[in-house]
Amino acid sequence: MKHALHSVVFALFLASTAALADDMPTYKLTMKDGRFYPETLEVPALTRFRLEVKNEGPGATEFESLELKKELVLAPGVTRNLVFYPMKPGTYKFFDDFHPETGQGRIVAK
Amino acid sequence: MGNAFFVVWRESLEAFLIAGILYAWLKANDDSGQGRRALFLGLAAGAGLAMLLGWALLTVQDELTGEALDMFQTATLFVAAGLITQMVLWMHKHGRQMKARLHADLAAAAEKSGHLGVAVVAALAVAREGAETVIFLYGMAQEGDLSALLLGALAGFAGAGATAWLAAKSLARLNIGLLLRLSSILLLVLASALLISAIDRLLGAGWLPPLLDPVWDSSALLDDGTKAGKLIADFSGYRARPALTSLLAWATYWGVVIFAWRRSGRG
Repeated sequence: MKHALHSVVFALFLASTAALADDMPTYKLTMKDGRFYPETLEVPALTRFRLEVKNEGPGATEFESLELKKELVLAPGVTRNLVFYPMKPGTYKFFDDFHPETGQGRIVAK
Repeated sequence: MGNAFFVVWRESLEAFLIAGILYAWLKANDDSGQGRRALFLGLAAGAGLAMLLGWALLTVQDELTGEALDMFQTATLFVAAGLITQMVLWMHKHGRQMKARLHADLAAAAEKSGHLGVAVVAALAVAREGAETVIFLYGMAQEGDLSALLLGALAGFAGAGATAWLAAKSLARLNIGLLLRLSSILLLVLASALLISAIDRLLGAGWLPPLLDPVWDSSALLDDGTKAGKLIADFSGYRARPALTSLLAWATYWGVVIFAWRRSGRG
């Protein structure tokens, strides 16, 4: 029963991400040498968007933002997507939890 | 090397702290030593699980694995938060009877309901933090300079152990009543922080609506994006810009815990 419920939830989740995947603006973010490129991302406010995060290494990185409620560990050479829900205009910080000194960036929603 | 030290120290600290506080708390509660054996078994199992998870994350890197692992991590957060809370409340309830009843009775009861919980909590704490450490170290190992990396990682690991040992030691120096109370509160605070991270993950994945986000912004006072702020956020569940859903979850958690605590204290 528990397993069945889990599968249903998972299938719904996959279906919803697949449905969303097509008509969303996508922004690219590269993590390299402990830094973000670009460090400031401008996105439209109140719009759902996708962020394609790529870790070009060397070393593993962790894209994290407590205020955006995102946490993503990336082994070197890995690319993964994050979907952001519509945000109010403002500045939102994110950081690389494995390189907190140099890896600081922000999303500016306008 | 400094970075390896800090990351490993921080990633290991939560697991070590949970283990250390559980150890101090078991020492006061459980004479037989079985609980402590369960704790060490759990820690070992967690280390194995962490390596397995890290290996899975490294080898199968497609979207699906990433999401499945994210869900697994979210689930472990909920389970760990629930188990820690249940154990603390259970002990609170039965700790009172300990004085009145025969020790044998309690030991038998603790064995049934307590030890598996201790082992599972320890395993989950290690597995969750450990998987990230495995990936981090793997990545660092590809950068070259292995000896500096190894030194930093080992120092970080030892540092986390020492930090938790000091915490457990200074707890154990208190009298039993105070120790029980303080370690129980610390474990509950840690459990509430785990719950908030789990809620954050659900909000971030869009599974839960944030309702109102943020409710306030206290990042000028204490910014959770900095090293120290993040550390406090990880252990207390503090958020500089909390969503209403997180606040409600936090308030509900403490409401239920305080209610159950009072009721079990009376009964």
